Amino acid sequence: MTVFYIVIQQIVNGLILGSFYSLIALGYSMVYGIIKLLNFAHGDIYMVGAFVGYGALGILGSRLGIGWLGIAAALLISMFLVGLLGMLVHRLAYQPLINKRAPRMSLLITAVGVSFTLFNGVMVLTNGEYKTFNTGLGYEGISLGLVNITYTQIIMVVATGILMLTLYWFINRTLYGKAMRAIALDQDACRLMGINVTKTIGLTFFVGSALAAAAGVMAGVYYGSIQFYMGFVIGLKAFTAAVIGGIGSIPGAMIGGLILGLLETAGTQLPFIGSAWKDVFSFGILILLLVFKPTGILGKSEIERM
Amino acid sequence: MSKKFRSMVAVTILALALGVTGCGTQSSEPTTPSATPAAGGGEIIIGLPLPMTGSEATYGKDMENAIKMAVDEINGKGGVNGKNIVTVTGDDACDPQQATAAANKLVSQGVVAIVGGYCSGATIPTLTVYNEKNIPFVITAANSSKIAAQNPGNTFEINGTAVHQTQKAIELFKKLGAKNVAIVEQGDAYSSDLAKQTEDSWKAAGNTVVSHDVTNKGEQDFSSLVTSLKSKNADVVFWTAYYADGALLIKQLRQGGYKGAIVVGDGSSDPKLIEMAGAAGEGTYVLSPPVADYLPTAKQFAEAYKAKFNQSAGAYAPLAYDGMNLMADALKRAGSTDGKATIKALSDTKDFVGLAGKINFAADKTLKESNFIVLQITGGQFVLQ
Amino acid sequence: MGNSVGLMDRFRKILGLRKTQGILLAVLSLLVILLPLVANNYIEEVATNTLFYIVLALGLNIVVGYAGLVDLGYAAFFAVGAYTTGIFMKFGLNFWLTIPIAILFSVIAGIIIGGPTLRLRSDYLAIVTLGFGEITRITARNLKITGGASGLVGIQRPSIFGHILNQITDFYYLFLVLVVLAIIIAIRLHNSRLGRAWQYIREDEDAAEAMGIDPVKTKLYAYMIGASFGGIAGAFFAVKMTAISPETFAFTQSALILLAVILGGMGKIPGAILGAAFLVLFPEIFRGIGQMRMLLFGILLVIIMIFRPQGLWPERKG
Repeated sequence: MTVFYIVIQQIVNGLILGSFYSLIALGYSMVYGIIKLLNFAHGDIYMVGAFVGYGALGILGSRLGIGWLGIAAALLISMFLVGLLGMLVHRLAYQPLINKRAPRMSLLITAVGVSFTLFNGVMVLTNGEYKTFNTGLGYEGISLGLVNITYTQIIMVVATGILMLTLYWFINRTLYGKAMRAIALDQDACRLMGINVTKTIGLTFFVGSALAAAAGVMAGVYYGSIQFYMGFVIGLKAFTAAVIGGIGSIPGAMIGGLILGLLETAGTQLPFIGSAWKDVFSFGILILLLVFKPTGILGKSEIERM
Repeated sequence: MSKKFRSMVAVTILALALGVTGCGTQSSEPTTPSATPAAGGGEIIIGLPLPMTGSEATYGKDMENAIKMAVDEINGKGGVNGKNIVTVTGDDACDPQQATAAANKLVSQGVVAIVGGYCSGATIPTLTVYNEKNIPFVITAANSSKIAAQNPGNTFEINGTAVHQTQKAIELFKKLGAKNVAIVEQGDAYSSDLAKQTEDSWKAAGNTVVSHDVTNKGEQDFSSLVTSLKSKNADVVFWTAYYADGALLIKQLRQGGYKGAIVVGDGSSDPKLIEMAGAAGEGTYVLSPPVADYLPTAKQFAEAYKAKFNQSAGAYAPLAYDGMNLMADALKRAGSTDGKATIKALSDTKDFVGLAGKINFAADKTLKESNFIVLQITGGQFVLQ
Repeated sequence: MGNSVGLMDRFRKILGLRKTQGILLAVLSLLVILLPLVANNYIEEVATNTLFYIVLALGLNIVVGYAGLVDLGYAAFFAVGAYTTGIFMKFGLNFWLTIPIAILFSVIAGIIIGGPTLRLRSDYLAIVTLGFGEITRITARNLKITGGASGLVGIQRPSIFGHILNQITDFYYLFLVLVVLAIIIAIRLHNSRLGRAWQYIREDEDAAEAMGIDPVKTKLYAYMIGASFGGIAGAFFAVKMTAISPETFAFTQSALILLAVILGGMGKIPGAILGAAFLVLFPEIFRGIGQMRMLLFGILLVIIMIFRPQGLWPERKG
């Protein structure tokens, strides 16, 4: 076992973990970009996505099988339903506060409330039990020397890539995307120009939540089991990733996720850090980064007034 | 408008405060509609401090089920000293602060004995709350070595302690011919205690602990940890925490091509481990408290549990069941609900036969003999080694 | 006596209450003082918990409410205070002597966190404070001196004038004294030069800077003072619980304290008190409904925020 092999394998590990962070970080970043809300419930949306996917696979499994076809269908269903859930949350919980021009801190607390609701709601519904994804996916894969990459891992990364490219196209090439970007710059001006601001914000929630749901289903398939608290840790990590990349920036969220994934794997492997200190290591680097580059890697600097 | 609202808020909060007062003195949990604080009535109230919310809720529910089964049987046979047993569950949410509040609430509700205790961290600060009122406490799951050290005198542990489990683990490692052991814990009081004790004992026996890792609860990706463990040439990976994350670790170890033995501690001893780990779980060794399915004595219990709750009894169900029966037995022997007499009766317990074997207490009120068993996952089932 | 009436009067004025409300306040104070005479252990425990969170909320209110800074890692200061007291008492130091050390250490923690980061935008401050909170918890979990994951157990109970404080009633009064002190300090701060500087910075940082207020220094004071509140509360928490472990200081704890401040109404002392009371009392009252209680709590939070986005007891703008 050579150092070279370890480094390569850890980079592979880091990129796979990071692609999950990226997918979830995108939702954080999009919502932040448009209404400056740190959506604490986003990790729980990811968790709900996993459960909806689990349910969908259970129903579809008998028709489409539990192989890739069934999984792909469950993924799309979960993305759609959870996207709607995201819109619903926006309409019921956030939009009333936005209309009242409430302090941003109140929005933050509302998000905490939504998070509590989703977390405990799923706990009550599932009776706190763990659910196992029985997909029968094996560990077959390719070995490059001593480095193992399974087909499942490859498909996950490819799927993540497709989702991200689609998003990129959506934001930069469609009218809706243009509206989103415009609202992020100046809401009032957009309203004057006849853009339906509320609807566009809702759409942002739809897209962000759908991406989180996709990550949730993929995590369920990849790791094999899901529970109601699975969104908490990864939610914090994705938030961190979004900030590393520069919150509000779409490519930033993608890069931030990958960087955080690599930092964590590096922390686990490095002597004198190890798994016990790896989060201290990642947070420490995040803080250092912010001190020297206060807007994250790709964030735009803007003058802010509280 | 604003002032009116403020007075309204003030009144509401006051009402809330009165609500607590009301709850504390009169009403009780809905599960026990007839419980009243009057200890002299026709009932014996026993408190069950268990995690009913939060991420450990599954375990709490499982233990509560088993305890209620025991209570139904006891009451069916005429109760204790002519009185029926009534239970009141206090949700400790596995959190020390909530646990202290729950303990005080149980005391206020007039409990004369306590059975339960899952999370060590949440259980430790409650010991004195009960002890001040001379209320005996039979702990059926929590087993950090800190509990025995902090025992104010009223507490009895019927789960093997971390010390017992460590001995069993070391025996097993030797049997497997291991040299390099890697230990992985979850950073909570229980798994970290077991990990530390094992590390110290294994090193004291002249062997090597190649790594001691800590994961976070709810983390799903252990791939970097797996690569790191492989690079350190571990013969045995010892997971000291719970089954949910344990199953993920086992899967990812095998997926990552780890070929050595995997041993998991009693927190992972649950049929769900097999379900969640799938094929990767084959061959895993499990240190376990006596689990219902593998105890000939508990066969009936396991079936009754499954019939009643539509799921398999979890790892701590037999001990929870035993704990309630032991407490009932001690109350009978004491002949009253007097705390001191019951504590004395518990200390004098001699060869109490439960599902999990005989219970005798050592001087520190932990089990005299370890009741840990070693299971191995073979053909999708736990098989006694 | 005259003095206390005067104080009550000033309280009344500061709280902006009418005379009748002043009387209400006096009755309420009397009830609070006499509570242990009628309450059982459980009620006292819950009441003590409420008082404890009031101290924390008042401390965080200085950072969030007065100075307008986000802090998602307030539990770190509370942890520093609790561990400092726990560790020094293990070395045999008297509890009362550990308090100044706990304050000192938590203020240092405040400087460490605030120093390099207060130039950041508020949202970045959120993640940085969150990060520091997690770093503190993980450090406590990994170090030997803090007892690792099991934490410190068997912390001695303190004594005062030869009387050992080991009953819940003792702690009830102890925390009541803390709350009264915290309220007085919070009021004095609010009306001080520093308090006005905070308000100024919160409302318009650029203008404040133009008027010669050093924003970074002024914000740092808020962190230091907020941290010392947390440190003191932590020190008392350690001796009340006799056992402390890293899980107590997780992110959820920080989020709950922040929730108390914002739910109550940022910047207002009665708001912080109400918020803390709600936070502790709500889950206790609904213990009976088991699993559903935290779900209900979440839903209620959202509803309250929708109808009272400024909090239950918001600051009135002049």
